[in-house]
Amino acid sequence: MKTLEEIENLSLEELERNALEAPVTVPDGLERRLRQALAAREIAEAARPRPVRRLVPLAAVAAAAAAAVVLLPQRGPKDSFDDPLLAYAEVEKAFQTISDKMSAGVDLAREAGSAAELPKSILNKTQSK
Amino acid sequence: MKRFIFLFAALLLTLSAAAQNGKSIYQKYSDEENVSAVYISPAMFRLIGKIPDVNTGDGEVNLSPIIRSLSGMYLINSENEKINGNLRAEAERFIKSGKYEMLMEAKDSGQTVRMYTVGNEKTVEGFVMLAAEAASVTFICLDGQMPRDEFETLMAKQMAD
Repeated sequence: MKTLEEIENLSLEELERNALEAPVTVPDGLERRLRQALAAREIAEAARPRPVRRLVPLAAVAAAAAAAVVLLPQRGPKDSFDDPLLAYAEVEKAFQTISDKMSAGVDLAREAGSAAELPKSILNKTQSK
Repeated sequence: MKRFIFLFAALLLTLSAAAQNGKSIYQKYSDEENVSAVYISPAMFRLIGKIPDVNTGDGEVNLSPIIRSLSGMYLINSENEKINGNLRAEAERFIKSGKYEMLMEAKDSGQTVRMYTVGNEKTVEGFVMLAAEAASVTFICLDGQMPRDEFETLMAKQMAD
């Protein structure tokens, strides 16, 4: 039997070799206890809720939080005008912008229409001769 | 856990896409540089409706009934080239998600103008104009309950002028 001092002076390799050479006695009933522990673990795993089931309440909470963000009254932007007459004038101005942009489109359509008239009139003249 | 994170991200993406509207676009871009922005709230439109007699200017086209039927207006005019692309993309996404119907499109010398409406046979509930050219983007969004007859008559008059 080695003293504690002797053991402390041993290198790691020597300790490992000594451990491998020493006779190992398996405690009584170890196999039975291991089997019982494994069986108990299996039972506990089976009783635990499945991951998908656990996700449902989490997903519900997330959905509720997101819905609350969207549905709760949010602070809107600040009105650009305090005076309704000025606001009215600005809306008229916006309609004028819309009209200008629309007119540009209509002018293009008219140009395309008059360009289409030329071959039509040539065709008509050809047919009348 | 991964599945949960994926689910949550998908949910957030869906909600953010659904939340895209004139207000969110206005709030995102109205404070940027070289951007002029106008917002007129439903409350202000209610005040406009109480103005007894509004002088419509030249008297040829009376905008008053249409303006009184509006409940909100968002106008963004951006000359900031850094944000123009994003503004245009977001406005187009909003138009697609809002089931808007194209009223007209005109393309000329690099400028594209598109106008859209949404509503039913009797009422126009929304109007959007998106005009984009090289250096500027204009986004106008009108909400309200505009009688379709009056709206179309007004548009026809604008075209005839």
